[in-house]
Amino acid sequence: MNLEQDQAEQTIDEIVASLGDTVGETRVENPKMSATGVDVFYADKQAIYGVDLDIANNEVIAMIGPSGCGKSTLLRCLNRMNDTIPICRVTGELTLDGEDIYNKDTDPVLLRARVGMVFQKPNPFPKSIYENVAYGPRLHGLSRNKADLDDIVVTSLRKAGIYNEVKDRLDAPGTGLSGGQQQRLCIARTIACSPEVILMDEPCSALDPIATAKIEELIDELRENYAIAIVTHSMQQAARVSQRTAYFHLGKLVEVGDTDTIFTNPSHELTENYITGRFG
Amino acid sequence: MNQESQQPSSRGSATELVRAGLKRRYAREKRFRLYGLTAIFGSLAFLAVLIISITVRGLPAFQQTFIQLDVTLDAGTLGLTDNPDNAALLKANYNGVIKKALLASFPDVKKRNDKKALYKLMSKGAQYDLQRKLIADPELIGQSKTYWLPAGDDANGYMKGIVDTTLPEKKRRFKDNQIAWVETLKSEKRIAQRFNKTFFERGDSREPEMAGIRGALFGSILTLFVTLMLSFPVAVAAAIYLEEFAPKNKWTDLIEVNINNLAAVPSIVFGLLGLAVFINFFHLPRSAPLVGGLVLSLMTLPTIIISSRAALKSVPPSIRDAALGLGASRLQVVFHHVLPLALPGILTGTIIGMAQALGETAPLLMIGMVAFIVDVPTSLTDPATVLPVQIFQWADLPEKGFVERTSAAIMVLLAFLIAMNAFAVMLRRKFERKW
Amino acid sequence: MKKFTHEGHTAHQFDIELNDVKHKVMNMGGLVESMVHDGLEALLTMNAELGAKVSLDDKKANQFELDIDEDCTRILARRQPAASDLRLVITIIKTITDLERIGDEAEKLGRIGVKLANERDIPHYYKDLRHLGDHVKSMLREALDAFTRMDVEAAFRTAAKDEAIDMEYSNISRLLITHMMENPGHVSHALDMNWCARSLERIGDHACNICEYVIYLVEGEDVRHANLDEMRKRLL
Repeated sequence: MNLEQDQAEQTIDEIVASLGDTVGETRVENPKMSATGVDVFYADKQAIYGVDLDIANNEVIAMIGPSGCGKSTLLRCLNRMNDTIPICRVTGELTLDGEDIYNKDTDPVLLRARVGMVFQKPNPFPKSIYENVAYGPRLHGLSRNKADLDDIVVTSLRKAGIYNEVKDRLDAPGTGLSGGQQQRLCIARTIACSPEVILMDEPCSALDPIATAKIEELIDELRENYAIAIVTHSMQQAARVSQRTAYFHLGKLVEVGDTDTIFTNPSHELTENYITGRFG
Repeated sequence: MNQESQQPSSRGSATELVRAGLKRRYAREKRFRLYGLTAIFGSLAFLAVLIISITVRGLPAFQQTFIQLDVTLDAGTLGLTDNPDNAALLKANYNGVIKKALLASFPDVKKRNDKKALYKLMSKGAQYDLQRKLIADPELIGQSKTYWLPAGDDANGYMKGIVDTTLPEKKRRFKDNQIAWVETLKSEKRIAQRFNKTFFERGDSREPEMAGIRGALFGSILTLFVTLMLSFPVAVAAAIYLEEFAPKNKWTDLIEVNINNLAAVPSIVFGLLGLAVFINFFHLPRSAPLVGGLVLSLMTLPTIIISSRAALKSVPPSIRDAALGLGASRLQVVFHHVLPLALPGILTGTIIGMAQALGETAPLLMIGMVAFIVDVPTSLTDPATVLPVQIFQWADLPEKGFVERTSAAIMVLLAFLIAMNAFAVMLRRKFERKW
Repeated sequence: MKKFTHEGHTAHQFDIELNDVKHKVMNMGGLVESMVHDGLEALLTMNAELGAKVSLDDKKANQFELDIDEDCTRILARRQPAASDLRLVITIIKTITDLERIGDEAEKLGRIGVKLANERDIPHYYKDLRHLGDHVKSMLREALDAFTRMDVEAAFRTAAKDEAIDMEYSNISRLLITHMMENPGHVSHALDMNWCARSLERIGDHACNICEYVIYLVEGEDVRHANLDEMRKRLL
């Protein structure tokens, strides 16, 4: 294709500039989180170019795009997980309930309690199931006594749809569960901190289809109470679980819109190519 | 796709080629395995030879020959007055009593030379045994008692069959008349081999039958204690800082290079440093376990830092992400999750460092731990020596008793090492967790 | 207007499958087109042989429909197409339904042609169908062309012709009513003829549907039951 031939001769910046403005409505009413003109740099290399995007309450927004398109980077900016990378620099404005999260006054610890994260590989602590879920509440002092904590643990496990499977073995190590159960345990662990936003970084990429289906079902249920952003490599998954879809390409938000529209009639050629499997 | 490769003829020839090469490939694999097995069995054989030879040579050291004597502890011979004080008891002439008892056992010995030879049957340490007994119970003065007292080095050697009796008398230290006396004692059942408690209860001595390992053992324990207490916390803290908190820039790179270099510095250099800094500058006592520990800490630090960093690095980043994502601070991430998971690795590194420190001789020579020290150290500033230095000293001495004691001391050192490693394995088991 | 292609997939086999099924649709379109032609000829020339051929062709068209349906089901199951690919498959599924119906209508024309071949005293006004028939044939051809080239412009143009055909049909209907009133003995013939005109009009409707599918396929907007002029202004 023409585009690919051009890429060899142009610099990344030129290609990015040629992508033009984001297609579709980036703003929603009453956004929970909002990105405005966000640029992210790793040392000198720019990873994200001027992204505007809102994340709404009670909605799942899927971020899709080829590898290295910056979707995970943006996700990790939303709860400042990128702080651990010294060479990572974020400019632009990222807000949670209208407050700038990269403000000096914003405590990343508090932010991460409000914006939970579920990772690609299920990563339970090598501790008991109970301890895994209780860790967050204990850290933030969310429980006054043991009974309180028990309650939080059970409720979180229930919300994550795993309670019935593990209720007899809360003392068993979390690492002994199956992959899908581990991931749901990680979701329970995130919920236990009572977050307002849940970020998911390819939560099903290491799971079999049945475990994936269970997690997707869970994501759909969680939507009632949280704002959810999910990065996924599976377009079918994005189509199944999300209400809005954002397509990233080379660090730029190319198109964002209703999932229904994106998957039947995307406006941008690159989105179309990616969704129909014509990429690279 | 390459079309030629799909044609049956070339496909067939390719199979032939592969088949032709297969035999050689398998032969090579077989040879390689054989080399490996040879190496393993070779080293096992060497180890076995080493252990067997040390055990065979060292085992006799755990036996000591004792001679039964009827000793009359009369105040006159001892040179004591009535109601003697401790100082007098320490200075009393126990040798005289023993000599009298010997002469009483062999009344036919009259000549001066023969008497001297007879006295040599007993260890010079026998008098100290009597001395201790008397100090413990002064009531014994004037009484006549039967005691088992340690035999001299030559008699001991003869009883253990080390003396070659086929040699002409002139060429041996143990003469015919001495052999006759020992045989007489043997027939009267007044000479016997017993377990050598002295070896474990005494410090060093010029007399092999009186020399013990306790001083060196305690010296080693005290020195290692200081080393562990200093190097473990400092090294782990340094490793955590460098691995988890320090920014990655040229300064930390420089520090890293230096730590790696330190690990490769010859240990004697640390000894010189210890001598210059701790003894000459800070005026800490010579030969003390404290200084030894300080010097060995310097030597052990890089080893523990390097292995601790490796252990910390091997903790999967997903665990860090998980804890960070839940809102733990960096310090909480390290102490709640990373450190517990890295602990087995850190402990392994520590034990390796400690084992190195335990076997180290050179730097300790520089700070005077090679001195001849009889007393068992009881504090960190007492003069002391350590096991490897003790072995080094004994290995230099010609007496038969010291030859076997050298091997025995090596056995003690190895046992110490095995005990330390077993402890480390136990700790590892306790802390090891799967993820 | 958007550039439209269904090639260039990373999975080359997918390209082949889509091309395959698209070609089958074109073949089916060609078959149906010739059936309409033959049916109309059979009717106008009262050629029983030609009428029988149309009936035979209809079986082929039905088989085409089954084949293509199966292909589409397989593509949906195995490739899970999205966006333009998805629209292409859905368009094809719908298009072949319409083509099959067109085939049925053509067969009806042929059947009446066979019936007429065995009768005498045939009213002259059957000839009046030729004009309508030609009109419908050209519309069907243009619709199939628009599908083949994925030409939205042509699709809009062709779809607009449906109105003229409807008009012509109502003219013929009115004419037939007059005939029936004047000549009650010819009522059965008049009814037959009305059936034929009705079939031709239906073929026009199906052709119009195909045009609408092409617009949906290329533009991603459903233009059925919408005001075509407005749509056209918006999209082109």
